[in-house]
Amino acid sequence: MLQFTFRRLSLFFFTMLLLSLLSFSLSYFFPGDAIINLSGQVNASQEELALLSQQYAMHESFFSQYWHYLLRIFQGDMGISMASQLPISDEIANLLPATIELSIISLILAMSLGIPLGFIAAIFHKRAIDNIILSFAIVGYSIPVFWLGLFLILIFSIQLAWLPSAGNISLLFEIPHVTGFLFIDILLSNSEYKWQAFYNALAHIILPASVIAIAPATVFIRLARSAMMEVLATSYIKAAKTKGLTNAQIIYRHAIRNALIKMIRHIGLQFSHLITFAMITEVIFNWPGIGRWLIESIYQRDYTAIQSGLLVLSSFIFIVHIITDFIYATLNPLARENKHGS
Amino acid sequence: MNLLDIRNLSIELKTKNGTILAVDRVSLTMKEGEVRGLVGESGSGKSILAQAIMGILDERWKVHADRFHWRGIDLLALPWQERKKIITQDVAMIFQEPMACLDPTTTIGEQLEEAVPNCQLSGYFWQRSKQRKLAVINLLHKVGIKNHLKCYHSYPHQLTEAFCQRVMIAIALARQPLLLIADEPTAAMESTNQGQIFRLLASLNQLKNMSILLISHDLENVTHWTNTITVMYSGQFVEAGTTKQIFKSPYHPYTKALLDSSPKANVELPPKSRLMTLPGSIPVLQHLPIGCRLGPRCPRAQKKCVQAPKTTNYHGHQVNCHYSLKDTY
Repeated sequence: MLQFTFRRLSLFFFTMLLLSLLSFSLSYFFPGDAIINLSGQVNASQEELALLSQQYAMHESFFSQYWHYLLRIFQGDMGISMASQLPISDEIANLLPATIELSIISLILAMSLGIPLGFIAAIFHKRAIDNIILSFAIVGYSIPVFWLGLFLILIFSIQLAWLPSAGNISLLFEIPHVTGFLFIDILLSNSEYKWQAFYNALAHIILPASVIAIAPATVFIRLARSAMMEVLATSYIKAAKTKGLTNAQIIYRHAIRNALIKMIRHIGLQFSHLITFAMITEVIFNWPGIGRWLIESIYQRDYTAIQSGLLVLSSFIFIVHIITDFIYATLNPLARENKHGS
Repeated sequence: MNLLDIRNLSIELKTKNGTILAVDRVSLTMKEGEVRGLVGESGSGKSILAQAIMGILDERWKVHADRFHWRGIDLLALPWQERKKIITQDVAMIFQEPMACLDPTTTIGEQLEEAVPNCQLSGYFWQRSKQRKLAVINLLHKVGIKNHLKCYHSYPHQLTEAFCQRVMIAIALARQPLLLIADEPTAAMESTNQGQIFRLLASLNQLKNMSILLISHDLENVTHWTNTITVMYSGQFVEAGTTKQIFKSPYHPYTKALLDSSPKANVELPPKSRLMTLPGSIPVLQHLPIGCRLGPRCPRAQKKCVQAPKTTNYHGHQVNCHYSLKDTY
């Protein structure tokens, strides 16, 4: 396990190195002056620019520039946004929690919908239920996210007026910013309308979360189905049948755990797709998250925001991958190595 | 009374290109306390036959039989659920590759505990988990595992193949079965471990009067441990009799060829001379010969052999051949 941890950490280190190198090189690839792209100071005078290039070591070698860039990132200084002239690190700290909240709730939704359906399809393989679930999975996978988002807004917000269509909470509620995670902040606040605010935030998250969840859920259906079918064909399931266990007991005690272990790594891989869907959905639902902010900065040619936003978002995805790897290692006894018992 | 009485059992495999008759009218009887060897080359349908008896074949396979009696009960007349209940209660099976037959993510202890049937336990439910654990430790001792605690908490991949097979035998013993089907229990095992497993099975047979159906591809290896032997070839019944009958006077040309091909049975053979073998190899399932499936390879085959022979019984020595070797002895 120690070796495993060390290997993951070294992978993390080198990937972050490459990511930061890419992000740094973007300031040269983007049009305009590299120092302006890096710092975001579009309105700076000639003297201020000279001072900045002194700070950023722009006259030294690329290696030294990169080193100074790394140092500044570790200090939490990512420059200021070209569009709003606010520090990017503050904006990200405000926006990233909303995206994390949305994507985690969508992931939970997708898993709790997709995995049981996939298992049911595998257990009733080649029967009507299997076909119904599979066709649902294919339809769900082929629906474009933006179309589904607009469609749901049309039905549930405009026609039926059940759910709000934009934002993550009604403007009536004033929630102090503590952690950035809205649900945690609501519970931490001591406003007398705490629970109203909570239900309001819940109503706001239902539509975007289900729009994001639908495509990963259909992928989970297919993954869970194939994993379960693979497990059900193994010899230990056959041997368990000779023990006199009922089918329900076999599935509950032996099949589900083994099928889940096969799936965990795929769930981690699906997370990057989920973030992509989340970015589009944030634009549609006007969600104050990092995805919408990043897409807006692309429209505004805000190069400083683009490179820092990419760095933060990709490291977030990578951290999630590493966490799923650790969960896999702890759940799967085959990953723990030492032999004993003979 | 016979424990198990199967007459003319056929197993068909449904494929896209029509059905394949994998096992063709095989008969098998088991008496109480008997150790019967079921011998044949790999691909001769032994394992399929065993799995058909256990009822664990999937829906691609179709099983027919003229008679399928278990201790006088006609299993074919019973609904599927009850048949499964009776079979799993009295018949246990151990497989080749024991490690693959244990759930890799569950500890040995848990897998053994769930095999202990509720009817062996007494008292209220809070007393039962302790009784289960005790029963499991007893089972582990029975199969010769002394370090029961370490084994109890181990995962299958932490044990050796021979240990896993012992655990499989312990799981099989949990329901105190009348018949144990051992499907090549020592395949891919060292010879010392093979001996241990066979001795364990033999002692269980003698002490508990448990019948054993020992499936093997190795005729001479099973003869030490069996009372009677059934020989199969390419899904067809070949010959059945006591071990002595099969060894001393095989009536079927295939059994004779099988014995002639083994160096141990031919001690008088001069050194460095060729062993007797049949020409050709076992037919693939897609291209089975009609009639007696040994036909194209058989040294005694004649025109009549394109029709499948009927089984003839000579005082308990059954043979399935038109031109049996009976008169040559």
